[in-house]
Amino acid sequence: MSSPSQQPLLQVEQASMVFGGLVAVKDLSLDLRAGEILALMGPNGAGKTTTFNMIAGALIPTSGRILFEGRDITRMKPDGRCRAGVARTFQITQPFHELSVVENVMVGSMVHHTSLAETRKEALTYVEMVGLGAKAEAPAKQLSTGQRKRLELARAMATRPRLLLMDEVTGGVDQKSIPDLVALVQRLHGEGLTLIIIEHNMRVISELAHRAIFMNRGEKIAEGTPAEIAAHPDVVELYLGEAAHA
Amino acid sequence: MFKPLTLRTYLLVAALIALALALPHVIDDSYLLHLMILSIIFAIFASAWNLVTGFAGLKTFGHHAFFGIGAYASALLGINLGLSPWLTIWLAAVIAALAGVFIGTPILRIRSMPHVAIVTLAFAEIVRITISNLQGITRGELGLWGIPAFEGFMLPLIGEVVFNPSVKLWYYYLALGLLLLSIGLIALMMRSKVGLAVVAMRDGEDAAESLGINLARFKLLVFGVSAFLVGLAGAFYAHYVSILTPMAAVGPDLIILVIAMVLVGGLGTFSGPIIGAFVLTFLGESLRVLDDYRLLIYGALIILSIMFMPRGLATIGSFFRRRPAEARAD
Ligand SMILES: Nc1ncnc2c1ncn2[C@@H]1O[C@H](COP(=O)(O)OP(=O)(O)OP(=O)(O)O)[C@@H](O)[C@H]1O
Ligand SMILES: [Mg+2]
Repeated sequence: MSSPSQQPLLQVEQASMVFGGLVAVKDLSLDLRAGEILALMGPNGAGKTTTFNMIAGALIPTSGRILFEGRDITRMKPDGRCRAGVARTFQITQPFHELSVVENVMVGSMVHHTSLAETRKEALTYVEMVGLGAKAEAPAKQLSTGQRKRLELARAMATRPRLLLMDEVTGGVDQKSIPDLVALVQRLHGEGLTLIIIEHNMRVISELAHRAIFMNRGEKIAEGTPAEIAAHPDVVELYLGEAAHA
Repeated sequence: MFKPLTLRTYLLVAALIALALALPHVIDDSYLLHLMILSIIFAIFASAWNLVTGFAGLKTFGHHAFFGIGAYASALLGINLGLSPWLTIWLAAVIAALAGVFIGTPILRIRSMPHVAIVTLAFAEIVRITISNLQGITRGELGLWGIPAFEGFMLPLIGEVVFNPSVKLWYYYLALGLLLLSIGLIALMMRSKVGLAVVAMRDGEDAAESLGINLARFKLLVFGVSAFLVGLAGAFYAHYVSILTPMAAVGPDLIILVIAMVLVGGLGTFSGPIIGAFVLTFLGESLRVLDDYRLLIYGALIILSIMFMPRGLATIGSFFRRRPAEARAD
């Protein structure tokens, strides 16, 4: 794993997201250095996906600021953030049902090419990268949950991001293919990608993440290395304890 | 849809065009030609509505506004400024497109499709009532007449091209030309990067936006092009029938008919709206005796086609060949 540099790529400053009476995220601050892999952890409803939505632009925070490469992007639309270098996958996968797998990925690679033929050519490399090569021409609606997660990843990577937000990409993927996904993320990271991953799988987190943030009810309650988080008493109580009881 | 066309598709299109060109020489019947011309006008209208609703997924029910705007604009420019229809049909189409962008800008921000449907329908009613009330300009319900006809000219090798009510031949060829132009434009657009963005937007706005697609820009583009083509069809209609009334040019019956055509033919396909336009125009003629009950038949047709062939007549062939996944490419 290459060591992260010191330059902040992303800064979230005191961001809050309120839905009606529900405070989904409260005064969250985080800094992300270029080259880092940060894990976002926490129980269901902790505000992890909401945090992604604020960073990717699907939601505009009720208060607080978001800076990417030093630039204030708090109110920028999602398409603008994508072009600025922020890509995301969706926890609940959103394939374009009427398009084939490769056409789905072409939507991501389109901005970088003038012709459809070149767009398709580049898209195919991402389709193969996530191991969907054999399914390239199949309609996206025929994919299994695990394959859809991979499609999300290929599509997001096709936009050539500098920061990738991965929302539970290993969820619903069969256990055997998780090492492949971990290796893939490591390869992308080695090529210069910075990531925030929302993950429940502790093994994946300890293999990938340099640092982890643990959230509960919208607030950051612990931050540290994955090992530190795993040993944190509140975390054990809230999360791992819960998993152990289950 | 985004793969290169096969030779078979090219040959099929070429054969259909050849057939359409030869048709008036095979059946020399003024009434039949009239029905063909009406079918073509509706085919342009239906294809343009399908661009917005079938391909881009924006459920607009107010496109008859652009038909009326195109029709009245072209007629009034001809009557009041003495301009030639050859020019005014294009000016009218541009005016319709501007109206489309004007009404589209606020509407396209609405994410709830039922609201889009109602707001567009209301917009068209406002246009109809305005035209009906501006009697000093449009003569309201009395009807606008004295609309200039297309000027004839000499065509080398072919002879004299004339446009008058008793000679429908050249109206037919002109309409056919406009149809080919419209479909060509839609096909070029939809098979390019624009089409890919538009279909992605229809299938999932959030995902499309997260991949760098500017939703507002593509919606407005599609809406503007669609309004342009509907306006063009309306303008041609004005000079063809040479009398306009608000009900005939902007009545809600128009959009109901067009929706029926697209649903019966195949929503979101290239050939569906054209097939639907011909089928329903000829069917409508043969049901003429039923008069006001015709809308009832259209309603029943919409329901039956949604129940038994949800993707319309355009895809029925591939349905039998059991390749539904490829059907959309037609
Ligand atoms: N658009 C929304 N409108 C209203 N409430 C929302 C919205 N999005 C999220 N919430 C609420 O905000 C809280 C945080 O949700 P969020 O999806 O961020 O949790 P999460 O940490 O991603 O959970 P999970 O592990 O289940 O994915 C939840 O109570 C959720 O119901
Ligand atoms: Mg979540």
